[in-house]
Amino acid sequence: MVAHYGNPGAPSMTADTERHKEENSESQTDLQLVKKVRHGDRPAFDLLVVKYQSRVASIISRYVYDSQEVMDLTQETFVKAYRAIDRFRGDSAFYTWLYRIAVNTAKNFLESRGRRPQGSADAVDAENYDDGSKLRDNASPEKLLQRDQLQEALREAIGNLPEELRSAFLLREYDGLSYEDIAGILECPIGTVRSRIFRARDAVDRHLGPLLNDSRT
Amino acid sequence: MDDRLKETLSAMMDDEADELSVRRLLSHARQDEVRSQWQRWQQVRDLMHQGNLADDRVDVSAGVREALDGGFHKAPGPVASTRRGRERNWHWPAVAMVTLALVVGFGAGAGWESADTSASVANAGLPSEKAEGIASEAVGEPVQEVALQGLDEEQWEQVSRYLLEHAQHNSVGAGRGSVGYARLVSASGAGY
Repeated sequence: MVAHYGNPGAPSMTADTERHKEENSESQTDLQLVKKVRHGDRPAFDLLVVKYQSRVASIISRYVYDSQEVMDLTQETFVKAYRAIDRFRGDSAFYTWLYRIAVNTAKNFLESRGRRPQGSADAVDAENYDDGSKLRDNASPEKLLQRDQLQEALREAIGNLPEELRSAFLLREYDGLSYEDIAGILECPIGTVRSRIFRARDAVDRHLGPLLNDSRT
Repeated sequence: MDDRLKETLSAMMDDEADELSVRRLLSHARQDEVRSQWQRWQQVRDLMHQGNLADDRVDVSAGVREALDGGFHKAPGPVASTRRGRERNWHWPAVAMVTLALVVGFGAGAGWESADTSASVANAGLPSEKAEGIASEAVGEPVQEVALQGLDEEQWEQVSRYLLEHAQHNSVGAGRGSVGYARLVSASGAGY
């Protein structure tokens, strides 16, 4: 995938290694946020909601097909998660735990309406589920056009990055490497990697900013 | 939101932020800016990994905030404790009622019969003057005239033995025959 954006110099890792790194990195940040939430830190929970709301909506849309009901149940899932956060022991990834709540919420909803749950999902799916596919199917032509524009803008933004920023950014995003590994490959301090990735993100965000805002209206 | 905090947020995206930095970020006054930046970067990541935004119509964060602010509680902990407290509130009367029922039941089973009750049960179907006699027996008078008058000695012994065995069986088997047994022993002691 790195080659897709024209970074032939970037080394590539196997898919398994990539996924493994990704899971580990996500769970660590999540645990930090969960710890804050347990102490009543609402902004920390906001970040978890923003991070996972699309994925949770996608899970629920496997059971419930009405988009408004999907939104309501997504919201309910997070409210339940917040109320039950003390019961999250960290045995599994936060997202896996959240996934179970979402599935149960959807099933309970269907049962309360006298409908049998149609879809099926288990915890293994939680890590690999294709986000948003159900909801995307309903995208209007305008939305599809907007997404094409977004992808084009993203290609431009990444292509315009200085080489040292692009390398660090793509090694992180596509190969899932840690800052330490990237520092070893690029032969620079970890702090430099951290700074380069941030500057790359910032540049891409500024390039895409108006389009991202438009997509939410 | 300055660049230093944004760099921390970027590191959080990659799980490379230390706990102190995360704490500093979360205590930043403008959390709406933090959330907005985080959301945009999440979108960029979705776009990069899936060739698309996960779903740009999904934004329940405001609704969740509203539900949590306007609803049940401010922090996760108190909800559980409030619910537990409510459960305890109705536990006490229930426990008291069950205890009372047990005490009354046990008391009745153990022979907590009032004099009036035993008298009225024993008097059933008897003429009024005899009933008065039995009532007085219940408070200490002899019972020889009650129902065993006219029996010869052999009949009396049979009835007496039968009643005694019955009373003993009751007192051992059902735990509630002590009064009857005592009454019979008392009757036996009176010369029957």
